[in-house]
Amino acid sequence: MLLREVEYAKPSSVKEALERLAENDGARALAGGQTLINVMKARAASPDVLVDLNGLEELKGIDLAPDGTLSIGPMTTYSELIDSAEARARPILREVCSRIADVQVRNRGTIGGNLCSNDPTNHLPPLMAAVGARFTIAGQDGERTVPASDFFLGVYMTAVGQAELLTRIAIPAGKQDGFAAVTLGVEGTCIVNAAASMNGSLRVAIGCVDAVPVVVEAESPDTVREAVRAAGLHPPDDVHASSEYRAHLAEVLAERAARQAAETR
Amino acid sequence: MTTIAPEKVEVGKSWLGESVPRKEDRRLTQGQGVFVDDVKRHGMGYLHFVRSPYAHAHITSIDVSKAEEIKGVYGTLTGEEVATLTDPFFQIASEPGGQIKDFSLAVGKVRFVGEPVVAVVAETRELARDASELVEVEYEPLPALVDARQALDGAAPVLHDDAGGNLMWEGVYEWGDLDQAFAEADHVVKIPELHFHRFNSTPLECDGALVEFNRGTGQWTIHTNNQFPGFAAIMMGPAMRCGLDKLRFVTQDIGGGFGNKITSHPQLVVCCLLSRKLNRPIQWTEWRTDFHMSMSHGNERWFQDTEVAVKADGTLLGFRTKALDDAGAWLRYEPLGGVIWAQVTPGMYRWRHIRVDFTQVATNKAPVSPNRGYSRMQHLWFTERVIDIVARELELDPVEVRKRNYIRVEDMPYETPNGCVYDSGDYAQMLDIALGLIGWSSMDDKRRDAESRGKRLGVGIGSTLDSGTNNFGQSRLINPELQFSGNNEVATVKLDIFGEIVVTLGTTPQGQGHETTAAQVVAEILNCSVDDVHVRAGHDSYWNSHAGFSGTYASQFAVTGLSAVKGATEMLREEIKRLASAVFGGVPVEALELAEGGVRIKDNPEAFLPFMACGAIINANNAGLPEDLGVTLNCRYVYRPPFQVPDVERKFGNLTLTYATQIHVAVIEVDPETGYYEIVDYAAVDDCGKRINPQIVEGQVMGATAQAIGAAMHETFEYDEDGNLLTPNFYDYHVPHALDMPPLHTGAMESPSPFTPLGTKGMGEGGGAGIHAICAAVQDATGKIVTDSHNPYHRVWELMR
Amino acid sequence: MDVAVTVNGTPYEREVEARKLLIHFLRDDLDLTGSHIGCDTGNCGACSVILDGKLVKSCMLLAVQADGSEIETVEGLADGDKLTELQQAFTEHHALQCGYCTPGMLMSATALLRENASPSDEDIRKALQGNICRCTGYWNIVEAVKSVAR
Repeated sequence: MLLREVEYAKPSSVKEALERLAENDGARALAGGQTLINVMKARAASPDVLVDLNGLEELKGIDLAPDGTLSIGPMTTYSELIDSAEARARPILREVCSRIADVQVRNRGTIGGNLCSNDPTNHLPPLMAAVGARFTIAGQDGERTVPASDFFLGVYMTAVGQAELLTRIAIPAGKQDGFAAVTLGVEGTCIVNAAASMNGSLRVAIGCVDAVPVVVEAESPDTVREAVRAAGLHPPDDVHASSEYRAHLAEVLAERAARQAAETR
Repeated sequence: MTTIAPEKVEVGKSWLGESVPRKEDRRLTQGQGVFVDDVKRHGMGYLHFVRSPYAHAHITSIDVSKAEEIKGVYGTLTGEEVATLTDPFFQIASEPGGQIKDFSLAVGKVRFVGEPVVAVVAETRELARDASELVEVEYEPLPALVDARQALDGAAPVLHDDAGGNLMWEGVYEWGDLDQAFAEADHVVKIPELHFHRFNSTPLECDGALVEFNRGTGQWTIHTNNQFPGFAAIMMGPAMRCGLDKLRFVTQDIGGGFGNKITSHPQLVVCCLLSRKLNRPIQWTEWRTDFHMSMSHGNERWFQDTEVAVKADGTLLGFRTKALDDAGAWLRYEPLGGVIWAQVTPGMYRWRHIRVDFTQVATNKAPVSPNRGYSRMQHLWFTERVIDIVARELELDPVEVRKRNYIRVEDMPYETPNGCVYDSGDYAQMLDIALGLIGWSSMDDKRRDAESRGKRLGVGIGSTLDSGTNNFGQSRLINPELQFSGNNEVATVKLDIFGEIVVTLGTTPQGQGHETTAAQVVAEILNCSVDDVHVRAGHDSYWNSHAGFSGTYASQFAVTGLSAVKGATEMLREEIKRLASAVFGGVPVEALELAEGGVRIKDNPEAFLPFMACGAIINANNAGLPEDLGVTLNCRYVYRPPFQVPDVERKFGNLTLTYATQIHVAVIEVDPETGYYEIVDYAAVDDCGKRINPQIVEGQVMGATAQAIGAAMHETFEYDEDGNLLTPNFYDYHVPHALDMPPLHTGAMESPSPFTPLGTKGMGEGGGAGIHAICAAVQDATGKIVTDSHNPYHRVWELMR
Repeated sequence: MDVAVTVNGTPYEREVEARKLLIHFLRDDLDLTGSHIGCDTGNCGACSVILDGKLVKSCMLLAVQADGSEIETVEGLADGDKLTELQQAFTEHHALQCGYCTPGMLMSATALLRENASPSDEDIRKALQGNICRCTGYWNIVEAVKSVAR
């Protein structure tokens, strides 16, 4: 409950934030803090410096381009996305964000934080994988943009290096999306979740079953379960679910998400 | 929300039966409550415990030097010091459990993950936490015992060499004639194994204390949220080698107890020792993770090899079972759980032939201690499972089986096979009310509707008893050497100089509204307004309004606390009249009445002495009063319930004074593809005798319902094979929130107790009816027998495969 | 580090370690003990306060992050002796027992009613999802909030 000693920096630009991160191996970005502060309370991780990204306008805002691409600043809070007129262009975003945690967490927690923490039970990594999001990462040397498959690398690990920052998330146009989950209590932590997106064929991303979202493709909702089985899942066992139960839920929820996507007009 | 009015309609201006808004709320809604972490003292040292990372290990060395070197660290305490400064805690158990040596810090060995090993005290909370990381403890790990069913195997790791094994207590309870019952039976239903799981009520506020030591008087002042100071004092005094009067307990607002704040005495001893050693106040706040890992898990109990003797028409004759209770690493209030279930031996049913072989063992898990429904809940769950399993096996309707076997209203007061007396209640009618509230008559339509949406509907009944006001003599069934029996509670009521009515209680409420209901009783007797009655908040040993068993636990306030208040107020009323009689020149006491804030002559109301005058005369203007008047207007009353010492040989006798009843019905819909289910409708009907404040009673019923739902669906303290707790915080241990709650219909009846001064029965714990109901509903929906009290989605899915 | 905050209209300036959590700052440094701590993983909501108009859990913010902010806590709800409608409704509907979750519940409900003066039952439950209560089962809390809705 009590953090170790830490230094605190509040940069006033992304450039400055990157400098602070590069200065010290033990520097970490502080986004919403709804995960990181708890990790620090448990002393499971104790950064030397917290570089507070709150207040960096460059990392906020949601833009809707004429071609329907949504460009989301990573420091957008869940609440801001839910209230955003632009984000309605892709309704699944708002639908899923409304199901994350509770009001208090949604008022501080950020899209970027959810993605960069890449907890296997998070909602947004599979969602972004399903909709084909692209992630722009900035370091002191410049910027690069990667797809979801290159972004989510392992448990709590993404392509964003210690001295880098996620600066934009780009989501292509689309509306045929679905999301299904079984959670610990209503709208609680996910036991298994699945996001689906239909663009001709179906792309389904399943969370909570591996270190990173597992993506399968299928022609239609009717063949999704088969595709999931073919992926050969070996989900973890824990107090909430056995490996077998998670594997079963993966099939069921993947199909449900797929149906929702296929049936959305 | 439907609260059905009781049969008896209250008319007139009685305060009893009124849902008076609570006095406590003014301060609590403004954040002006005083909870233990709110109490501050200049120069206080913050305490952090270094806790064991192993479930079972020898401690080979402890080095606190690096921690003590840090500027701002005031000092430390180790088990070695504790073993020198204190004696082991008194053990309730007889052999072999009574041999274990329980100190307030681990001595020589650790026996569960999270067990306190060293205490570090520093200038700030953060520093104490930091310094604790510099304490070096070397361990030699040992194999851990995590499954109680293996505790008595030859190969099992032994926790307490002093006890010679993991057996802590065993006893055989047998009444009636089992051979006869089984011979007469048309069917013998066998249930190989039932399991009541480990969880607790996780009060939102964890344990804590701020302890000051007065060097000059040798007195400790213990600001704490311990809910049973009487018990804490009895445990701490002998251990600390000091008289009980040296331990002053002060509590004000407590953020929930539910029994889980009864066994903090080891930590309180540590705080006391440190306040003396370091000559400064010691502040201890227990963190959520600490609480989950180390405090007050509810009894985990297996019921093995159950056999039930049944007639073809569903009449239950009797049962035998082997109850295996997992006490965790230490006996802190145990093995009382080994007898307390016997308050409700037959559950709500009329069977007369019963045998329970009760065995309690130690395991490398957190120590067990009372948890809402303590020990009776486990047994009542067992009886309810038996009813539903028997009904299923014999293809009978669970409603009919219950009605056929329920103790009937005309049987009351009913003596159970082991001599307990159920005071009153109409179970069959309560069941009808509950079924009506969820639309039982149209249940077939609801089933079809659920089916059309791909869901399976399940309906389950959970009937339970909330036995209240213990006879502590039952402890002798555990250990015949113990010198405890009966029960008591104290209250004082006085008139101050200006006529202010002031009440002190011996209880330690954690939300039950004692200030309010006590004021209602006082106002009723003194014929004044509740607003004129000032009840002091909380508990303080210095008020001297406590006795050996004082505290708030075991569903008893409405009987013990309120009867003490009634007694004290009646004494005061009598004194006021005798004073007035003297002041009015010898008017007979019978001619006087209390009204309108004073006392007057019935036939001549102008002859009126306000309370203020009474208080002033006695306190400041008493010259000329008759020598033998004997009036102090400061009345202390000890309520003692009418108990006998039970017959230890036959394990027979009345163990509790009152029996409140709750009957719940849960309607669930299961998604067969995922095992996910939700409660779509729910009814809770309660009868706790005369209700002093119906709204407060209903609040307790609701709270118990919510906790039962949490336990049945989500909450569990599960361990891995190395003895690590897998649910050590609220992230993994899911406590229901507002979205998790079903629609709720409540109903009430009032069957007054013939045994209590006000006709009230203690209530509050609730007996876990929600767990029984949800298990039954899951069984109904899945068509499979439910053998575990904990049924999260994955278990429901597994049942249906 | 220096922190300057306004809490319930009163300005405060203190020096704190960067690691100090806002909830500890409020309780220990400012003696505002109305907000409570019930867990260590940000789940229980007993620490909920309103920061620059938004409901947050003060156990997941550093005090230094609140520098320059306006904070509202339970202590600021009543106007002297005059309780708010919401506080009175909590009493009328027996929406509290031990009172430990109550400050957080009141702040969450206050935040809700500012945003939505006529919430449905579902809206209320969703707004209170981040506040754990072990005593009441939430039914009376929902009733209390509903009773002051328009």
